[in-house]
Amino acid sequence: MFEAGAVTKTVVLTDPRGDAASAQVVRPTGTHAPYLRAEGLSKAYGATIALSHVSLEVHAGEVHALLGENGAGKSTLVKILSGIVLADQGRLEVDGRPFEPGSLLGARSAGVSTAFQELSLLPNLSVAVNLMLPNLIKGPTGINSARRNEQAAAALLQEFGVTTVDPASLVADLSLAEKQRVEIVRALSHRPRLLVLDEPTAALADPGWLFDIVERLSGEGVAILYISHRLAEVRRLCRRGTVLRNGRSIETVDLTGTPDAEIFRMMVGTSQDELKHKAAPNRNGRGPRLAVQGLAGRNVHDVSFEVGDGEILGVAALEGQGQRPIFRMLAGLEPMTAGSVTVEGKAADLRSPAAALRSGIGFLPEERKTEGIFLGLKTSSNISLPVLGRVLRGAFISRSRENALVAEASERVDLAKRYQGMRIAALSGGNQQKALLARVLLSGPRNLVLYDPTRGVDVGTKQVIYAAIRSFVEQGGSALIYSTELAELVHLAHRCLVVYGGRIVGDVAGSLLTEDRLVSFATGHGDIAA
Amino acid sequence: MSAVAGPLRVERHRRPVAGRLLGSGTVMVTVIYLLLLLVYALCQKNALSMTQFSDQLSNGLPLALAAAGGTLVVLMRGFDLSVAGVIALADVLTATHAADGQMGALLCLLMVVGVGLLVGAVNGFLVAYAGLQSIACTLATMIICSGAALLVLDAPGGSVPEFISDNLTGTLLAVPVPLIIALVVLFGWAVLRRTNWGVGLYALGADETAARLAGIPVRRVKFLAFCAAGALYGVAGMMLAAATSNGDPGAGTSYLLLVFAAIAIGGTTFTGGRGGLLGSMIGAATLLLLQKVLFSLGVSSFYTGIGQGLIMIAAVLIAAFSARLARRMPR
Repeated sequence: MFEAGAVTKTVVLTDPRGDAASAQVVRPTGTHAPYLRAEGLSKAYGATIALSHVSLEVHAGEVHALLGENGAGKSTLVKILSGIVLADQGRLEVDGRPFEPGSLLGARSAGVSTAFQELSLLPNLSVAVNLMLPNLIKGPTGINSARRNEQAAAALLQEFGVTTVDPASLVADLSLAEKQRVEIVRALSHRPRLLVLDEPTAALADPGWLFDIVERLSGEGVAILYISHRLAEVRRLCRRGTVLRNGRSIETVDLTGTPDAEIFRMMVGTSQDELKHKAAPNRNGRGPRLAVQGLAGRNVHDVSFEVGDGEILGVAALEGQGQRPIFRMLAGLEPMTAGSVTVEGKAADLRSPAAALRSGIGFLPEERKTEGIFLGLKTSSNISLPVLGRVLRGAFISRSRENALVAEASERVDLAKRYQGMRIAALSGGNQQKALLARVLLSGPRNLVLYDPTRGVDVGTKQVIYAAIRSFVEQGGSALIYSTELAELVHLAHRCLVVYGGRIVGDVAGSLLTEDRLVSFATGHGDIAA
Repeated sequence: MSAVAGPLRVERHRRPVAGRLLGSGTVMVTVIYLLLLLVYALCQKNALSMTQFSDQLSNGLPLALAAAGGTLVVLMRGFDLSVAGVIALADVLTATHAADGQMGALLCLLMVVGVGLLVGAVNGFLVAYAGLQSIACTLATMIICSGAALLVLDAPGGSVPEFISDNLTGTLLAVPVPLIIALVVLFGWAVLRRTNWGVGLYALGADETAARLAGIPVRRVKFLAFCAAGALYGVAGMMLAAATSNGDPGAGTSYLLLVFAAIAIGGTTFTGGRGGLLGSMIGAATLLLLQKVLFSLGVSSFYTGIGQGLIMIAAVLIAAFSARLARRMPR
């Protein structure tokens, strides 16, 4: 199971100005055993490796931060600790005993309780029932007593200082912040010895309430694993933190002695040193190709930007900051409540995806399985779908014309000819993505809007997709790209916007475009250079 | 955050009454039913007489019971098509295998409930434990049960013991027996929805993942829902035999779609987690009352289907509209 050679070194940085080289390696010799010890945890979902030899320790009474970018493996670790998924490899110990929870209740009975990021409350049930499940209080008749459950829930809410929530009201009627409080109170109600808080302040306007609770519990000796993107609050609560990157635990650091930039560097990695010589966008004096003015909609407020001829504009954001609605509005998938979008000076009609396409915006969706491809059809049919009108001979589809178009588009994305006749379901994820990109290119837009185009594809395919996007803009098109991988944006984009809380908080270009700076903006810290 | 001072007081500031009523499908279907009843009373002079009422109850109870059973499954976002098969099977079993007298009726009840439970258990096992789609599995069990019904009785006929046909459609202490049966079912539901299983049904319908995270034994809840639904279908089949005094192996077919119509009219959403048995049972009564109203208006019975479909669209429209209105009410 666990091999000694695979231990990730635990490093405590003691010198605030120190770099990694001067960091001192500390073996966990501690005076008392850690409450939670994870060693060499690995978890793969199919071919995707979510966690690889992750090790960390949390002591009783410690608030331990878990830091990392999107996709670094934080939520997988939370799921393993909560008993929702089992690790493939590695060892977990809680309070010195092996800990292999097969279910949420198993984890709970071992004293581990989690407040989930995607709230796990049931909207059609009352706050009281949500808090008391699965052990609802029975009345004298043996059936659940609404009154007693509400009283017990009220006592819980009061104990943890939540005074604005009526236990009898439906969860669906609560605000997001109230739901988050209820979710946290539910985790607390199980009196955990190890509390896992996954992005607990994402919806809280005033996190002071939570900080008081966290401080009180750690004072009572509860071990707390605290996951947050917000470095400022992590610093306030936690003394030590473990950084995850690409599913590996990179370092456990002493937060008080480590500057922000150093932590960002660990989150992002230094592998992305090869500096790219990006040709500046070859604007030829014309106005912007795609201009967005005052765009507003679900979770999006007053977003304005322009993409010029030959420009690749990146969008960076942490999960759920409003980037998805922005892209979906541009694709005609979601209504906009305010603002205007113009393509080459003309107002774009974004009432439907078909209208957006007619306006010259080609969209590549994030979920290719559900939003993109038709698994039952051939690859060539998938590619030619939007342009069937161009391959008609009379009322029928001309196979030869279709094949010619598909062959041309496939070449642009380097999709081998032999795949065209195969059912697309038989293709790898990377080749499916190439086929989708070919389809978008074939439909002839002058502006590409790509939502995480390289998610879950291999390195080779990534290069092909980059090349296709570059050659597209070199021929005068424009591209707007969101990616969960900051390295990719730095590599590909001429300029990058950072979205936080539904607004654009940063706009960096040229030599200023670095991952550190993007992370700093994306975590709501503003410019680190400022 | 400090210790609780003084006695606990649960503050109540729920949605205003109007908002809650608007959002409730049961209230809506009751209003529709009463409006129809008013029309009926205006064009048929003995409409509100005891005989009429009792007659409607015994005609409507099979559909109401079947809809009640179906609701249990729909509440947790499932589909149960086996209702048609189980009704047919229970119907012909009652017409061929029931003995006369109290004992005969009791044994018959045990028989149809047993058959329903068995089919429900098969459905429940396939859906909850084997993880198969509920539509496919219950379609299969429906076909099996319909086939089995033909084996028991290959053409309409048979005879239902007088004790069953008289007493189940008659009165007990001047109260119509079908009403008593309906009330027993509703009382049982009132109790069951307050058990962990009942809460689990609603939880599962709203969000299966969240239900699992809340510690609800998801598979057991599903399994039991199909079992209880099957038992109700069985009783529905026996009531059908009692009301018609004979058996018909094809009896279930006409019920299949009406059951889902009754559920939809009753305000239970097919997306799960909202609604209840009372609404579905009133929905069933509404569908049958509509038949009577159209008949008494002199409309050809060929128009019944059109009328029922329109009522259903109206009910679903009203439900969607009132839910939106209820959400907009200030809190």
